[in-house]
Amino acid sequence: MIAETIVSEWTISERTTSEIMIASTDSTIGFPILSILLIVLPFACAIILLTSDQLKARWIALIAATISLLISLIVVFSFDQTNPGFQFIERLPWIPSLNIDYIVGIDGISILFLPLTSLLFIGIILSSWNSIRSMPRLFFILLLLLETATLGIFVSLNTILFFFFWELTLIPIYFLIIYWGIGANRRYAAVKYTMVMMAGGVPLLFGFILAAFNHAGLNHTGSHTGEPAGELVFDYITLLNNPLPAELQTTIFFLLLLGFAFKAPIFPLHTWLPAIAMEGPASIAAIMTGLKLGAYGLIRFTVPLAPDAAQNYHWLLAGLGITGVLYGAVLAVSQTNLRKMLAFSSVSHVGLVILGIASFSTQGLQGALFQLFNFTLVAGGIFILLGFLHHRTGSTEVVSLGGVAKTMPLLASFFFIFGLAGLGVPGTNGFIAENLILVSVLETHTGAGIAALVGIVLAAAYFLTIYQRAFLGPVKNDVVSTAMDLRTRELLLTTGFCVLIIIFGIFPNIILDITRGASEGWINLLKS
Amino acid sequence: MNEANSVLQAFVWLIPFLPMLGALAIGIGFISGKNRGESGENQTTLIANGTALLSLLIVFAVDLHAIVIGVPGQLELAQWFSSGDYQVNLSFNLDTFALVMMTLVAVISVLMIRFSVNYMHREAGYQRFFMIMSLFMGAMLLIVMSGNVVLTFTGWELAGVSSYLLIAYVYDRPVAVKNATRVFVTNRIGDAGFIIAIFLSFHLLKTLEWTEIFAGSSSLTPLGNNILAASFVLAAIAKSAQVPFAPWISRALEGPTPSSAIFYGSLMVHAGVYLIIRLQPVLENSPIIMSTLAFIGLLTVLYSFFSNLVQTDVKSNLIFSTTSQVGLMFFSCGMGWFELASWHLVLHALWRAYQFLHAPALMHLMDRKTRPVHPLLKRQGWLYTASLQRFWLDPMADWLLVRPIKSIAHDTERFDEKVINRLVGLPEQTTAITSIADWEMQKSISQTAGLLSKDQPVKGWHSEAEKQEVSRGHGFAGKLLEGLADMLFWFEEHLVLKSGGEGLLKLLNLIGHYLLQIEELLSQPRYLMLLILATFVVII
Repeated sequence: MIAETIVSEWTISERTTSEIMIASTDSTIGFPILSILLIVLPFACAIILLTSDQLKARWIALIAATISLLISLIVVFSFDQTNPGFQFIERLPWIPSLNIDYIVGIDGISILFLPLTSLLFIGIILSSWNSIRSMPRLFFILLLLLETATLGIFVSLNTILFFFFWELTLIPIYFLIIYWGIGANRRYAAVKYTMVMMAGGVPLLFGFILAAFNHAGLNHTGSHTGEPAGELVFDYITLLNNPLPAELQTTIFFLLLLGFAFKAPIFPLHTWLPAIAMEGPASIAAIMTGLKLGAYGLIRFTVPLAPDAAQNYHWLLAGLGITGVLYGAVLAVSQTNLRKMLAFSSVSHVGLVILGIASFSTQGLQGALFQLFNFTLVAGGIFILLGFLHHRTGSTEVVSLGGVAKTMPLLASFFFIFGLAGLGVPGTNGFIAENLILVSVLETHTGAGIAALVGIVLAAAYFLTIYQRAFLGPVKNDVVSTAMDLRTRELLLTTGFCVLIIIFGIFPNIILDITRGASEGWINLLKS
Repeated sequence: MNEANSVLQAFVWLIPFLPMLGALAIGIGFISGKNRGESGENQTTLIANGTALLSLLIVFAVDLHAIVIGVPGQLELAQWFSSGDYQVNLSFNLDTFALVMMTLVAVISVLMIRFSVNYMHREAGYQRFFMIMSLFMGAMLLIVMSGNVVLTFTGWELAGVSSYLLIAYVYDRPVAVKNATRVFVTNRIGDAGFIIAIFLSFHLLKTLEWTEIFAGSSSLTPLGNNILAASFVLAAIAKSAQVPFAPWISRALEGPTPSSAIFYGSLMVHAGVYLIIRLQPVLENSPIIMSTLAFIGLLTVLYSFFSNLVQTDVKSNLIFSTTSQVGLMFFSCGMGWFELASWHLVLHALWRAYQFLHAPALMHLMDRKTRPVHPLLKRQGWLYTASLQRFWLDPMADWLLVRPIKSIAHDTERFDEKVINRLVGLPEQTTAITSIADWEMQKSISQTAGLLSKDQPVKGWHSEAEKQEVSRGHGFAGKLLEGLADMLFWFEEHLVLKSGGEGLLKLLNLIGHYLLQIEELLSQPRYLMLLILATFVVII
């Protein structure tokens, strides 16, 4: 039935490729910088494997992560902001029989994820400096593998390559949780996460293959792309330039939406996130809340590959978004554990990002992207900080805390600053993102926008209530009264994150200028 | 004129940002450990006073400029951020009213900070206090000076944050921190109104600059104008502690006296009135909102008058009389007497600042008995109770908002655990073996137990009881896999084991082990698979 649809419908959505804004230019730097970025980290893993010294592993990991940060910064600085298309494209044959190439490249939407991912991993490596006592070599190898896979997700321009990196993240995450998790049920959480993600992979792969087959069918009947007839197309840019027929778009939209909804997470598929936050190590919780790969997938694949369907089902996206905002916020109100509260607040924030995407306006998309960058700094940072607290007190449950500000004033102050950024207080990066999202959502989905404002009031309530119970008030526990404040290494790390939060809050155009071209291209693609 | 304006532009932004930079510097000093303890007090004082004074000097310079050359009016310095056609500028609107207000705020703030130097001497949170004060001064200046809605909102929010920090100043007192949270969340409701107002100005008038909003409001439809005015009014009454938001201000008295009293009594409560006076052109087009405003003002006056009658300490007395004065200002605005309201504002702010500074000294000098019950309240017992209870506004908010939200939160949590979790994910973690590692542990325990008690036969790898324990199938996919595993098991036992060698047996055992592991994993998310299947059905 689908095949019939493909053949009968393709003529309807035939458009000339010149209408499409996405243009591709080749690498502006002479050498394959993105591939080098991807190779550095596995290479460091190999070195770690070769060394027998357990303590050297962390140094090698730190150096490798720093190099990857430097490379991503080089990419950012040599990026052409005026070009809305993909840059630094590299193409190598990978599986010729299926027409799958290794294609990497970045545009204004994906580029900033590279330095921020590297930065988050540096933060995680530094925060795990002394706290990982068992098998540090394996820990850092897995961490670097996870970073490779994450960076791979952001640079892939081939759906199968993307899927490869997407599934590759599961392996390190699984082992990181079961070996270094802090909760008693960490194995349960790890299995749950892996199973949920595997299940999410099924519709994703199915959607990508469906799109590829559609092109194979297309070229059979009448080739208008110049591709050899009958070949499967997994190349993202080619897929973008040849819009799918309307009915197939609906199918692919739902498949990809479902696939990415697991990872985002969108209500009702969010249950793995609190489990991971409670059971996993602080580093994994920081990655899970700091890098919202699912939301990135929605922006990168779901909407551009099925633009008409996305516009038809904008109400579904907005509905999912606002449900997430309220559901997460309401659940966060009743939490008594800092980690669980932050997990639910993350669900709420992702809802806001989905709302921003659903508004299909430049402000909404730029706000959503800005918010995704913020997660890396704010959510990642706050979980790293919680890791420090957990290391000192052995718990993040409010009953066993209280009065933290008395003995650890710096930790409490930084937690508050991160919290303010989460609340979207002006002067922090959170304000800009929230402001842009709300302004555009109120215009396109007024009801959802007003409901989101309720979520924002609730956000202040749940954050401050739990902050008051855990950090303020009199000291009630011995662990708290004897704990030390942040050490120099921890202080520098946290300060670094805070400085960026404030810099991006005061000079938001640094980020908005980079994402502007690609975001406008993304919107034009929808309107064309 | 132009040249003078450009000189002005180079310095005017420093007025609100200097105190903020001061706050930042104190914060950095504290983090790096440079200004902690009593020895750091001098440095802190220097920064806080220095930036405040410098800011005041620039304010005077701008005033002088205004007197000599003329009122600067709207100044656009730079772009703050933009996305699509949404563009926020760093702009200031320095008309006569803004000039008066900015001078007033700067003078009172400088006095307040200077006064606190002696008052806070040797307090534990000395540095923190001055950081908050500097931040607050900057925020207030930003509110009165800013030329566009978003920048005003920035000051508005920062003032809210600094008020939270000040109320929670003695952070080990549970009452203080609880009040701080309550105040911030109450103010946040007003902020939601402000955000709607920002959206409406952008959406309806395509601008964020105050001057253009005022000019454009007459072209709006009555409905649009009413909603715009109502959103701003919501923000203003929350900030200025009008009924029904009035109770927050008495909670705000937790901060260290008397500076905090000035903070609220003389500056922050007036922010709402300032906004309303600013909005005169918008409000004048919405008679309904104007009358609502007058009504709210009147209610607040009554509320604070009666509540005041039963207060016995000077701080509460003063704060309630402040709210009633602010209520009067709202009333005058509602009646259209904006000029009167602005005079009232300025004089009241000055008078309160003076009064709050004197209150503690007055208490030292005078020894007065508790005031008797007012004769009016004596006659009307219910009024006395109502006044004592402050007209039950706080319990009402609890009853209407806080408690329902809390119970919804608990219900949602139960729903999340009992319904969503089961529907989407895995079985209850307590009832099932969650991974092969757990299972192995159990196996080894049972084996050692078997070895210890020799009379019982040691359970084999494929004893019936254990097989059931491990390979329990859940749901459709699980049952299917269980059947498959049973078949493979039969195959292994009957065909391979009888003819195969030792090596093959080991290999098969290993494969069987992995198959069981995979089966165990796959059997769990039954509902998940069903969900995916259902989706496929729906789509295809």
